[in-house]
Amino acid sequence: MYRYIIKRVLWLFPILLGVTFIVFTILYLSPGDAASLILGEQATQESLEALRNQLGLNDPFLVQFFRYAGDVFLRFDLGRSYINNREVLGEILQRLPNTILLASLSITFAALAGIPLGVIAAKKPNTAVDNGVMALALFGVSMPTFWQSLILIIIFSLTLGWFPSGGFSNPNQWVLPVIALSTASIGNIARITRSSMIDVLDQDYIRTARSKGLSKKKVVNSHALRNALIPVVTVIGLQFGALMGGAVLTESVFSINGLGVLMVNSIRTRDIMVVQGSVLFVAFMFSIVNLIVDILYSFIDPRIRAQYK
Amino acid sequence: MRKREKLDQLAISGSLTPWQEVRYAISKDNRALIGLAFIAILVFIAIFAEFIAPYGMREQNLQNVLQAPTLQHWLGTDDLGRDVLSRIIFGTRTSLVIGVSAVSIALAIGGVLGLVSGYFKGIIDILIMRVSDVLLAIPSILLAIAIVASFGSGMFNMIVAIAIGNIAIFARIIRSSVMTVTERQFIEASHALGSSHFRILTKHILPNVLSPIIVQSSLGIAFAILAAAGLGFIGLGLEASVAEWGLMLSSGRAYIRTQTYLTIYPGLAIMLTILAFNMLGDGIRDAFDPKMRDR
Amino acid sequence: MKKLSFLALVLLSFTALSACASSEDTILVVASGADPVTFDMHATNDIATARIARQIYETLVLQSNDLELLPGLATSWSEIGNNTFEFKLREDVVFHNGDPFTAADVAYTFRRASESPTIGHIIGAIDPDKIEVVDDYTIRIGTKYAFGPFITHLAHPATSIKNQRAVEEAGEDYGSQGVVGTGPFQFVEWNVGEKVVLERFADYWGEPAQVANLEFRTIRESNVRVIGLENGEIDIAYDVAPSDIPVVTGNPELTLINTPNLGAEYLGLNWASNPYLKDANVRKAIAHMIDVDSIVEAIYNNVGTQMTGPINSSVFGYNPNIDPVPYNEQMAQDFLAASQWPTGGFTLRLYVGDNNAERIRVAQVVQTQLEKLGINVSLNQMEWGAFLAETRKPAEESVADLFMLGWTTVTADADYGLYPLFHSESGPAGGNRTFYSNPRVDELLDLGRGSIDQAVRLQAYQEAQAIIAEDLPWVFLQTRENVSAYGAGVEGFEHHPMGSYPLAGVRKTN
Repeated sequence: MYRYIIKRVLWLFPILLGVTFIVFTILYLSPGDAASLILGEQATQESLEALRNQLGLNDPFLVQFFRYAGDVFLRFDLGRSYINNREVLGEILQRLPNTILLASLSITFAALAGIPLGVIAAKKPNTAVDNGVMALALFGVSMPTFWQSLILIIIFSLTLGWFPSGGFSNPNQWVLPVIALSTASIGNIARITRSSMIDVLDQDYIRTARSKGLSKKKVVNSHALRNALIPVVTVIGLQFGALMGGAVLTESVFSINGLGVLMVNSIRTRDIMVVQGSVLFVAFMFSIVNLIVDILYSFIDPRIRAQYK
Repeated sequence: MRKREKLDQLAISGSLTPWQEVRYAISKDNRALIGLAFIAILVFIAIFAEFIAPYGMREQNLQNVLQAPTLQHWLGTDDLGRDVLSRIIFGTRTSLVIGVSAVSIALAIGGVLGLVSGYFKGIIDILIMRVSDVLLAIPSILLAIAIVASFGSGMFNMIVAIAIGNIAIFARIIRSSVMTVTERQFIEASHALGSSHFRILTKHILPNVLSPIIVQSSLGIAFAILAAAGLGFIGLGLEASVAEWGLMLSSGRAYIRTQTYLTIYPGLAIMLTILAFNMLGDGIRDAFDPKMRDR
Repeated sequence: MKKLSFLALVLLSFTALSACASSEDTILVVASGADPVTFDMHATNDIATARIARQIYETLVLQSNDLELLPGLATSWSEIGNNTFEFKLREDVVFHNGDPFTAADVAYTFRRASESPTIGHIIGAIDPDKIEVVDDYTIRIGTKYAFGPFITHLAHPATSIKNQRAVEEAGEDYGSQGVVGTGPFQFVEWNVGEKVVLERFADYWGEPAQVANLEFRTIRESNVRVIGLENGEIDIAYDVAPSDIPVVTGNPELTLINTPNLGAEYLGLNWASNPYLKDANVRKAIAHMIDVDSIVEAIYNNVGTQMTGPINSSVFGYNPNIDPVPYNEQMAQDFLAASQWPTGGFTLRLYVGDNNAERIRVAQVVQTQLEKLGINVSLNQMEWGAFLAETRKPAEESVADLFMLGWTTVTADADYGLYPLFHSESGPAGGNRTFYSNPRVDELLDLGRGSIDQAVRLQAYQEAQAIIAEDLPWVFLQTRENVSAYGAGVEGFEHHPMGSYPLAGVRKTN
């Protein structure tokens, strides 16, 4: 068991290094020149060259990469912004609470709504209820988050006036963004719960339990659901990644000062260090969440537990 | 009727040719059929946009901006007096071109990697899978954002950015299908008969992984269209005079209080298109899943 | 568990915040579309920063709303020869950190400023060797050459007087923390991406600020700012987008204020990147195709008026005797027919930055209009910084045939509005992105810059404008206006043509 966990944790580091390499390479190849960005439109050739040397922009690619990776992994330093000279990590951490709150509220809401919907559908497969729930789920996964956000604003904020159209500092500002961001995940979770539940209900031990005279309700709730949730946990982990991506758009629609808005704004101002740092940060978070999910999985899945006894 | 029953028989015994299997799957699932029909309509619109659209893509009228829907302009006019319906019709072409090209690139590269990985196994497999682990660790929309942010917007960069985010997913899916197929007896028999790797790959394996490829392509196109619209929405998309749904949404957003139709219709077009591709993909997948088929 | 305690923390801080608001201190909340960059005024030159900095810092010279030069931290000044001025300073001024304001601070500020590459075009004429502290309240500052608009430049926010001790204590972080000035408000905190909080400075030498607290919020979308105004979360919204003007004017609770500023919009015609735009007939054809009135009406909701030349009427040196280029498609066809390419058939690359929705719309109008002449236009929408870099490339690398840009003559003096843009020696890096070159214009601009006789300068600038309007390196579009809106209860809010508005005199009655 612990061997498995240690193996998974150790495997995280090459992945993170690989992610750093990819993100660094993409932004390294960017045609923009950081020095002229910093010095502005009136800079002289000599001052540009001096700054490039000072920032190490004239060094070979690999030297630059290992310097950056060294800063990231050994000193937890993502560098400083080219625009306002602030520490990138500080910029990220300042906005992180909003994004974490948005993402965790959304994933919680998605699980609370998606799992029961999936169970309801699975209990009566191929009936009108099942078809109805699955049609809803299909609409959910096909809904563009940013469009849904705008529609929610039109209906609930501009027309009915029930919720504010932006900000994230108090609970009634959470409602619309959380609904918008969780819709696709609700659909995905409902679908996977349904199919996993149908699988489980079909298994011998459930049939045995049923034939022993246990009520269907009891079988579903106590036996089947626990086993059916195993793949659902994985999907929730994967949904977190999709959610972080969706948060970029949701945050900018609802003017939430989070990582997504930081990213979009720094793309607009071409603040490469911030773009690089925040993409990296989110990828790291995503990897770590998936690691935790995998470890959780190993605790609840008897097969992995048996394999690494 | 008889043909249908025969197909059912063949399907259960697993002796349909791959293409027959896909057609069978589509015919068995209403969702897939509806999705396919809608996609056919979209393709038709995209090809014949010039003839269908009542106005030109860039045809402006500064004297008639922001008009609510009327008989002349069924979906109203935008901030430059352009016909919204016509822009949505031309936008179909933009979206399909981006979706199909991005998925084709991802499929070509991911497909080869997945085939090689699943077929040869060993060190090549490990290498390819570890690289795909890394790629999958970056949420694909963020990867696309980073690429477009770095290289600049525009059609080509956008397609490449979305494609790269999908390569690893295709590689994974095709690898696992290949692995299932290679365990089957007829491949072993071919090996025994001395067929070359290339022959086995192209003649036996490729056709047999067709259905997962179609399923993933369909879902992939849906994702690509969504991603393109999302990039357009945050200002990383195409240039403004091109009709693109995400861009239309983002410029309509300034008028969300007074001209809601500028927000509603382009978004509806995005949603319906994604829905169609999802329906097709889901439908085929479910029809192929033996567990689903029994029910 | 973690999540729960985090939630509790959020709730707690929320209650703490609302407790603050209920105290009797007045807070004036101002919403702006962009985050400030840094309050180190030597490291940036952007309007979002200037709007806040203006409340914190002061300059030696003040410019009134009518652009008259008034005493600021300097009570008087006089020319003493050798391109040098002597300034008498106020003696009753203290910095926010308690230090008294003296000539040493002024010397420190200008020496430090002269090392900054970012604001070189504003203070570049100052010779650091000619900065001389005479006594605590007298200082001499000289320029490298005769520089007509020198005193005007000393009203620019980039020349805000800093405190040496504060700058050195904060080190590399000066600008994001430890900000110290002499203005009516002092810096409290900056929540990046969200808000900057200032409070009334009790020891201010002048009239104390009317409100106790000032909060600048960053809200990117204009319509979100207006919604905030409507529900009372915000008192003043800056930069109301044309699309939101009807919403504001339709609401009796809100007041719209729009006043011309010193800016103008233009379509640049590049003379170096292609053979076509060197032909005056092609340039005239293009200019006649652009319907500025309709653009102003449809895209800008009637904010702004058509320009006749490169600078607008409130700038010193303006020439009122130039006729506008009329919109006339027939004349456009005729001019093109007289050119080397009578039916068009060539392609021009049009560049536009992606940070300005209206400009992007105008670019699309230009594209469609020129296509009517048979001139193909490829639209290149670029991220703002990349756009600036692209249009600043030297002649041999230049590809931006047409570009959409604006210029604000912040000093309200024609030198600032013409020299960088039309003098052949400025080059694209200095602002002459069209590679315009006319020896007579160069001569006139040199004359205006080198003279301190305002009559001579006026004549030189007026002639220069007439020539430029004839040469058409730009299609002159419209003047820019500052558009703000404020809610009921706000009194005393006025615009300043510079685009940054003093707020110390603004009251809030409810």
